[in-house]
Amino acid sequence: MPVTATYLLQLTLNGLMLGLLYALIAVGLALIFGVLEIINFAHGEFLMLGAFAMAFALPPFGLAYWPALAAAVVAAALAGFILYEAFLAKLAQGEFERSILITIGISMILLYGMQYLFTATPRMVDTAFGFAGIHIGAIRITWTRIIGGGIAAAAFAVLYALLTLTQFGRAMRAVAQNREAALMVGIRPHAVARNAVVLATALCGLAGAALAPIQLVQPGMGQAVIFKAFALVIIGGLGNMAGAFVAALALGMIESWIGGFFDVIWQEAAVFTLMIIVVLIRPDGLFQRGGMRVG
Amino acid sequence: MRELPLAAALLGLALLPPAFGSNYLTGVALSGVTFTVAAAALNLVFGYAGLLSFAQLGFWGIGGYCSALTVTRLGGSFWDGLVVAVVVNALAAAAIGLPTLRTKLHAFVIVTLTFALLCGLVARDWVSLTRGPLGIPGLPTPRFFGFAFDSPGRFYYLVLAYAVLALGFLYALGSSRIGDTMRAIKQNEPLAQSQGVSPLPYKLAAFILSAVLTGLAGAIYVFYLKVVDPLFLDFYYMQTFLIVVIIGGAGSFWGVVWAGVVMVGLPELLRFSNDLRMVIYGVILVVAMLAMPRGAAGWFADRKITALRASLR
Repeated sequence: MPVTATYLLQLTLNGLMLGLLYALIAVGLALIFGVLEIINFAHGEFLMLGAFAMAFALPPFGLAYWPALAAAVVAAALAGFILYEAFLAKLAQGEFERSILITIGISMILLYGMQYLFTATPRMVDTAFGFAGIHIGAIRITWTRIIGGGIAAAAFAVLYALLTLTQFGRAMRAVAQNREAALMVGIRPHAVARNAVVLATALCGLAGAALAPIQLVQPGMGQAVIFKAFALVIIGGLGNMAGAFVAALALGMIESWIGGFFDVIWQEAAVFTLMIIVVLIRPDGLFQRGGMRVG
Repeated sequence: MRELPLAAALLGLALLPPAFGSNYLTGVALSGVTFTVAAAALNLVFGYAGLLSFAQLGFWGIGGYCSALTVTRLGGSFWDGLVVAVVVNALAAAAIGLPTLRTKLHAFVIVTLTFALLCGLVARDWVSLTRGPLGIPGLPTPRFFGFAFDSPGRFYYLVLAYAVLALGFLYALGSSRIGDTMRAIKQNEPLAQSQGVSPLPYKLAAFILSAVLTGLAGAIYVFYLKVVDPLFLDFYYMQTFLIVVIIGGAGSFWGVVWAGVVMVGLPELLRFSNDLRMVIYGVILVVAMLAMPRGAAGWFADRKITALRASLR
C-alpha cells in the first residue's frame, strides 16, 4: 500500500477522534474509581444507552443533531443517578468484589434487556448532516466525525474547568485524593459520589450519542469498548483521570496507525498487550494517583 | 450413614438419561453438570483463595480450542486433546498467575479479565490457526476402547465421570489442610503470614488447579457441541459460572454444586429465550448481592446461628 503524507494524516486524525471517544469513557471510569473505589462493569452499557437514546430521539426532533444529543446525555445521566441511588449508595467502603458483582448484574440486565426488546440487529442512525463532509486536500471527513471529536474536546475543557474551578469538582478531587481528610473538612461523601457517578455516566452517554451516527448502534457496542477502557484505566494508574486521558489518546493513535499497516488482530490486541507490559513494569500504572503530600 | 444421600444423588444423576428419554433434556443435564464443574473450579479460586478471577473464561476457551486443535490439526485422539489442554492451561495459568498475584486485588481482577478477552481476540482474529469466526466444526466422537460416546445419553456419562472426579478432588482439597490454609489467607492474609504461611504458593496452586479443571471441562464440552468457535469465549459463560458461585455461596462446596444444578437446569426447563434468561440472571445477581451477599449457603448458615442463639436464650 502506498504510504503517503495524506494517508498518515488521515490515520492520525482518525486516531485522534477515536482516542477522544475512548477518553470520554475511560475518564469517567477513573472518576468513579477515584471517588467510590468501584470498578463500574456497567459503564459500557451507558455508552450503549446514550447511543440508543440518540437513535430514538433523532426522529421526533426531525433528525436535528443537537437536541437529540442533549436528550441522550440527559437520559444517560438520569440512568446514572438511578444506578447510584438504587445500588451503589448501598455499598459500604471496601466492598470491592460486591461492587463488581452488582455492576456486572446491572450490565447483564441492561445489555440482554435491550437485546430482548430491540434484538441484536445493528441499526443505522441518520442525522440531518447525513454523510456530508468537508475536504481538506485529499482527505474527506464527515461532519458527524468532526462534531464528534469537537464535542469530546469541548467536554474535556468543561470537565477540567469543573474539576479545578468549582467547589463541586474540587470536592470530588478531594475525596479521590484522601477520603478521610475530605470527610474531616465537612465534605459530604454521598453527594460527591452521586455527582461523580452522574458526571461519569453523562460523559459516557455523550460518547455513545456522538458515536451513534458514526458507527452502527447495537446492544453489544458498550461491551466492545468497556474492556479497552478498563485496560486504559490500569495503564493510566487506577483512579487517575489525567493518566486515563493520556493513555486513551495514545491508544487511539496507536490503534489507528497499527490498523493502517498491520493485521486487525494487532490493532485489537495492542491495548491488552500494552497493559500487561505496564502492569509487569509498574503495577500501579504509568501515572500514580495523587496522594496527600506530607511534610 | 452419611454417604447414603450422596450415593442416592449419584444414582439419580446416573439414571437421568434413560429417565428423560429425550436428547434435549439429557443435553440440558449435561450442560448443567459441565457448568457446575467450571463453577466449582471458580469457587476454588474465588471462594477459597479469595481471588476474583475472570481468567476462568480464558482457560475454558483454551481448553476447548486445545482439544479441538489437537484432534483436527495434529491428528491426535480426544484423550490426547485432554492432555494437551491440561498442559497448556497449567502453563498459561502459571505464566499469568506469577506476575499478577503479586499485584493488588484491583489490578488482579482487571488483568485476569484482560487475559480472558485476549483469548477471545486470538480465537477470533488468528484465522490461520483457529479459522476465526468460522470456528472448527465437525469434531469427531470420542471413543474409549471401542465404546463411542456418540449420543447425548452416552456423552453424558463421560461428563458425569469427569464431574465426579473433579468435584471429588475439589471436595478433598477443600476439606484438607490446604483448603483450610487457603480460607485462612482469604479471611486475613497478614494474620496467616504471621503464622508462617506464605500466601503466594497457595494462591498460585488454587489458580493453576482451577485453570486445569475449567480447561478440562471446556475441552470435553466442545466435543459434545461438536464445534468450537469464538462464541465459546463469550462473556456469557463467565457470567454463568459467577452466578452459580454467588448464588450457592462463595466458599461453600455443596452450595455451589446445588446452585449449579438449579441455576442451569431450571431456566432451561422453563424455556426462556437466552436473552430473557440472562436478564433474569442479572436480576438474581443484583438482588442476591444486595440481600444475601454470602449466597444461599451463607444465608442458611446465618439462620442456623440465629436459631441456635434463640434456643440458648
